[in-house]
Amino acid sequence: MRDFVVPKTDTKVLGEVKLEYAFQLHGRYDAPHVARTPKGNFRYQDITSGDLRGERLNATVYPDSGGQYDTVREDHIRDVDAHFILKAENGEWIYVEHVGYRHPDGFYRVIAYVDADTKGAYDWLNNTTFVVVAKESADEREVVFYYYVAN
Amino acid sequence: MDRRTFVGGAAATAGTAAALSAMALPQDATARTTSSGGRGPAQSSPAQPGSPANAPPAAYYGGRDSDIPKVGLRWAFSATVFFADRIMIGSPVPRGYTSVGGGEIWGPRLQGRVLPASGADYYRGTFNTYYMFEASDGALIFIHNRGTMRRFQAPPEAGKPLTPATTTDPATPGWMRFRATPVFTAPVGPHDWMNRTVFVANSQRQSNPDHTVFTYYEVL
Repeated sequence: MRDFVVPKTDTKVLGEVKLEYAFQLHGRYDAPHVARTPKGNFRYQDITSGDLRGERLNATVYPDSGGQYDTVREDHIRDVDAHFILKAENGEWIYVEHVGYRHPDGFYRVIAYVDADTKGAYDWLNNTTFVVVAKESADEREVVFYYYVAN
Repeated sequence: MDRRTFVGGAAATAGTAAALSAMALPQDATARTTSSGGRGPAQSSPAQPGSPANAPPAAYYGGRDSDIPKVGLRWAFSATVFFADRIMIGSPVPRGYTSVGGGEIWGPRLQGRVLPASGADYYRGTFNTYYMFEASDGALIFIHNRGTMRRFQAPPEAGKPLTPATTTDPATPGWMRFRATPVFTAPVGPHDWMNRTVFVANSQRQSNPDHTVFTYYEVL
């Protein structure tokens, strides 16, 4: 067994991260387009609609505002690269980006980066890191994402 | 002037240079390894480096409703990263440059060092770092690390919204939330798990010398 050594230079050994559940997004997508490319299989899926609900944010996906632009790897995991826009119930616009992995069993683990109006009602989304888990439907046309704030 | 001479010379703070030269190399870390009283299994059944068997228990988080899937975080490893010179470029959205001088990686699932002078934080609006890890087996692992930073008036309490700080004065009491989210590209082999794992880190800036301690958790 190889144990590890805590360097003398460190003053704080283990910093904490705690997750707090924030909201869920039910996204609906067009059928995927998959193309073989020199960089692996590229998989595009348009986000056609969606509903987000939570205690501090309720919103709808701006239809066709983006989608998922994934790379299917040799190990069948997809590198997820998603971009889309939400319209909050008060009319404000919110940008969402997902970066992470979709595993062959249909489960996702991604990080979400979110931009909102600093002068609006959802400024708390800015500079917040979200840890997201999701499950895809069998036909790959619906995904439910669960967002946790990394505090 | 050679780039490495430059980093090790006038541009780097004396403190950083001293800290880097005092830092243990991975070989030294092996020599200092404790052979008894470790956290892992007995020596007769050694866990492979990087095996989850070496990791501490995970913490799981859930929502108020039972239909919300739980998410686990488990400490994977930590990294101490020393920064050297800083440059600001007055581009339309200002671009910062903070070079990575070196550092050390330790923890249950990865040990090694930060490859000296292998990259930097190319800050623009937010922390955005590209550099290389050198694992104790010699593998080079690419890290692209994005970070978000925000200051609040007080640490979080469950169920209560955080209140952003109204001042940037560091003397005012408050709580800085600095989270980093790395994407790793590791060679096929014992570090392959890093290619399919999502991580989130607690990051803490330290001064004298200027460095940051990242505590990396894998998302389960």
